[in-house]
Amino acid sequence: MARRSSRSAPSPLLPPHEPTDTYSAELPDAPSLSATFRLDEGYSDETKSQAEKDLAILAADEWMTLQEWVLTHSETERAELAYNLLRSMRASTVASVIERLAPRLHMDPVQKLPPEITSEIFSYLDPQTLLMAALASRAWRNRISDSRLWKDLYINEGWRVDMDAIRTFEQEHSGLTSPQLRKSRSRHTDPDSGEPKQKKRVPPSWLNSRIAETPGRKARQETGQRHDVQEADTEGDQYMGEASTERGTLFTPEQQMTSPTRRRESQSTMTQPKPTLTGPLATMRRPNSSLLIRMPNGAAKINWLHLYRLRRKLEENWAKGRFTNFQLPHPSHMEEAHQECVYAIQFTGKWLVSGSRDKTLRVWDLDTRRLWHPPLLGHTKSVLCLQFDPRPSEDIIVSGSSDKSVIIWRFSTGEKLHEIAAAHDDSVLNLRFDERYIVTCSKDTLIKVWSRHQLSAADKDYPSVFFGSGVTYPSYIVDTAEMPYPILEAEIANGHIQSLAPYTLLMTIDGHTAAVNAIQLNEDEIVSASGDRLIKVWNLRNGACKKTVIGHEKGIACVQVDNRRIISGSNDDTVRIFDHASGAEVACLHGHGNLVRTVQAGFGDPPGAEETLRLEALAVDNAFRDAQLAGTNVDLGPRALRRAGYQQNTTGSRDPRDIKALGAKIPPGGGGSRWARIVSGSYDESIIIWKKCKEGRWVVGQRLRQEDAAASAAYVAFDSAARAATARSNAFAQQQQQQQQQHPQGASAAAAAAQGQPTPTAAVPPPAPQGGGGGPLQTLQALTARLAGQAQPQQPGGTVPSRAQPQPQPPVNGTVNPVLHPHPPPPQQQQQQQHSQHHRPRHHQARNDRDPSTIPTSRVFKLQFDAHKIICSSQDPRIVGWDFVGDDEELREACQFFRCL
Amino acid sequence: MSAQMLTFLSNDGVEITIARDVAERSVLIKNMLEDLGDTDEAIPIPNVNEAVLRKVIEWCEHHKGDPPSTGDDDDSRRKTTDIDEWDQKFMQVDQEMLFEIILAANYLDIKGLLDVGCKTVANMIKGKSPEEIRKTFNIQNDFTPEEEDQIRRENEWAEDR
Repeated sequence: MARRSSRSAPSPLLPPHEPTDTYSAELPDAPSLSATFRLDEGYSDETKSQAEKDLAILAADEWMTLQEWVLTHSETERAELAYNLLRSMRASTVASVIERLAPRLHMDPVQKLPPEITSEIFSYLDPQTLLMAALASRAWRNRISDSRLWKDLYINEGWRVDMDAIRTFEQEHSGLTSPQLRKSRSRHTDPDSGEPKQKKRVPPSWLNSRIAETPGRKARQETGQRHDVQEADTEGDQYMGEASTERGTLFTPEQQMTSPTRRRESQSTMTQPKPTLTGPLATMRRPNSSLLIRMPNGAAKINWLHLYRLRRKLEENWAKGRFTNFQLPHPSHMEEAHQECVYAIQFTGKWLVSGSRDKTLRVWDLDTRRLWHPPLLGHTKSVLCLQFDPRPSEDIIVSGSSDKSVIIWRFSTGEKLHEIAAAHDDSVLNLRFDERYIVTCSKDTLIKVWSRHQLSAADKDYPSVFFGSGVTYPSYIVDTAEMPYPILEAEIANGHIQSLAPYTLLMTIDGHTAAVNAIQLNEDEIVSASGDRLIKVWNLRNGACKKTVIGHEKGIACVQVDNRRIISGSNDDTVRIFDHASGAEVACLHGHGNLVRTVQAGFGDPPGAEETLRLEALAVDNAFRDAQLAGTNVDLGPRALRRAGYQQNTTGSRDPRDIKALGAKIPPGGGGSRWARIVSGSYDESIIIWKKCKEGRWVVGQRLRQEDAAASAAYVAFDSAARAATARSNAFAQQQQQQQQQHPQGASAAAAAAQGQPTPTAAVPPPAPQGGGGGPLQTLQALTARLAGQAQPQQPGGTVPSRAQPQPQPPVNGTVNPVLHPHPPPPQQQQQQQHSQHHRPRHHQARNDRDPSTIPTSRVFKLQFDAHKIICSSQDPRIVGWDFVGDDEELREACQFFRCL
Repeated sequence: MSAQMLTFLSNDGVEITIARDVAERSVLIKNMLEDLGDTDEAIPIPNVNEAVLRKVIEWCEHHKGDPPSTGDDDDSRRKTTDIDEWDQKFMQVDQEMLFEIILAANYLDIKGLLDVGCKTVANMIKGKSPEEIRKTFNIQNDFTPEEEDQIRRENEWAEDR
């Protein structure tokens, strides 16, 4: 249409209704005319100019077929002729011609456009659409399987990845191509011998059709069929250069005719990098092949489509509560356990460091789940807080204690490097360090900043002096701003200003009116949370208070911070999210039945989130103002709204009535990707995994219990030990079996303990209806196991683990709980899960029959999660973990690249 | 002072006169003019026929006031397939023309036009079943029913949760 209009059309050769003599002479010969046309169908959309040139030569011979003659005319003239021809036919004939022509108006972009353009097109589409489109044809499937495309999709999900680990992995697996293969392509040496750019990728169908028209490349074609598609890719590189200049000749009708058979021939080559397409092949692939793509030059590249798929699976495991449990110490080495409750843990890579009421710190190897050093002795009271950095450049553990001291240890050896005795006037409740400073906070209401290295007054890390309330500096700190640099230099040179030794106090911040329970460092900011119900943000360089965040109704126990939000847990049983920029409260999560002691959040902001968040927040503000103008009662405050019969939703709803504060830089709920996750641990002895529902509000995804995890970890460990034992010596196997046989009695013991000693927590509200199915299923299973255990009479020799006094315990073998559901349960089972949700509140109700005399046994003190696991410490000396990889080996391998949200 | 008008020569031999600032929406032309200096001769555009070239020029005329593209890496922003109204109308052409405009925009390096073209095709794919996609683009299904079934099963992980 546009084409016709843009053409400067010469007047038609023939007036519509009066054919000239020339035409009338030829027209009666209708059969031969239509025959010629049929033969050359598909010709006229090809290079017309070429045809005209040929015809010019023919014209010189003064002889031409009717068709050739027709083609000497312009397209407009031919169109007019075709129109007139059609007009002369019966309507049914016209209809059939139109029907035959219809497909000509629809053409395949994957055939018509080079890969760099189709990949541009696909980059606008979401994963679901792409996978749907990949079913269109093999050629589509190939283009859509492009690794680069899925890398972008992965990153846009907000998932983090360890690029260094990927690079190392790629290098380790590179350079394994057979020399024969190299030879076969020596003629077409790839100038870009590194990573062929995705832009130039060519799938084999494209390549094969190219090869078809290029005789003399048969040998290479065979090579291409023997090896995988990625080799075809680089060969395609050569062609892509041509493709843009001579695309007109790329797809002749002849090729299109032959291509289906060619494609079929190439099936085996196409499916190879995607072994999943041919089921049995999948088991035969070489190790790692599914994570890697082999480049023709032998380089190995990560397969992002597969990585995307696996990450998706992992997130699904989180959502559905599919996990395995483990514990520290290893159940067969219980002698390595802390002797009392564990207040502090941190893990990174394969290392975990824990600090306990037993006054020790312990360094664990997460791979073996064994102690690495003998326990670190030095504190004279409970270890309350710690941080460590195992990198050789740092190699440090810092711990704080009820004994008011801070101790610096060498991580690798466990040796005590330095002690800051009497760092505070009371228990050191929390500490954080970076490359420059150690920051501590205490029950004495103070925050202190210490140097980590020797510090000269000219050093950029030397504190600056702020004249205002709340911060004091020791007398040896000089105000360098007062002193011109040359004088400062001179003073340092002549020794009037001496360098500060490492671990020297730099400043004391006195701004809270109650114990400072938690602090975080965020670049040059300290964020502190206190029993005085306030969160404060301080300038790390000079101790000035930057802002105060108000929201919680009781003391605050924990705080976490990123550049956009502050997340805190409080004695008011809630987790709250505040806008970092404005301090506005953007969400309040109710779910725990007691003090929230520990919290971690991962929002999974995708690239470019800043702008998205700002715009979303603005839209919410505007909606609020519009509602206000429209006279809706949106600005009454929660109490007045309640009186008016409206209960505010504070979990991230964008309803104007639910908005608590305007002017935030992030929307209600705090923003982030749909994979965002908050994990909180409480004195109600549970851990909640919060996730976002489809509407973007926070809901309880899973509720986990330390107790269940410990039991399950012990069970899993013994089970696998028993399995391994059958392959080993008989005696060993027998021993393991004996241990296994003790299960029923252990179960009854645990059941008795669980039912006889309900926990003294406040009523736990029933989980939100959006909660996943896995947790309730476990609960149900645990319940069944307990009932089964009860049915058996108590066996002699069974010891009931003491629950009242935390001490190293033999693993509770009870609650036989095969938590592992590595595969999605069949529909039937899912129904069961749904069903079991209804049971859950009742089960909890049973737990909450209070008995004030009972001492809680697994109050959660500290938790941490990474991409695939949660580890938590509690009143119980055992440290327990939930691993969401399940038993999926592929996923476990991929986890080395996954970073937290 | 550089010439204000240029002449393009399409691959089917038609000369089209075009204002220089309009022509410079094409990075290829802009760079060429910078490298080679002004020219009074017709600039051959070997890959583009007259009809497509006129369409491309129409787009460049309409968008001559647009700020120049910020370079090729504004990928940090999330990609939307929203197309403004004029561009949408402009892109209401047959598929052959659409693909040829895309190819021409790619060759002439006119990022804005290439983006609009790609978005248009992306929108033709969105929300369609595989069968509908095949129909839209006249694609032969070369999967066996068994293969199609298996791929569908493999893709179950991607179903929205």
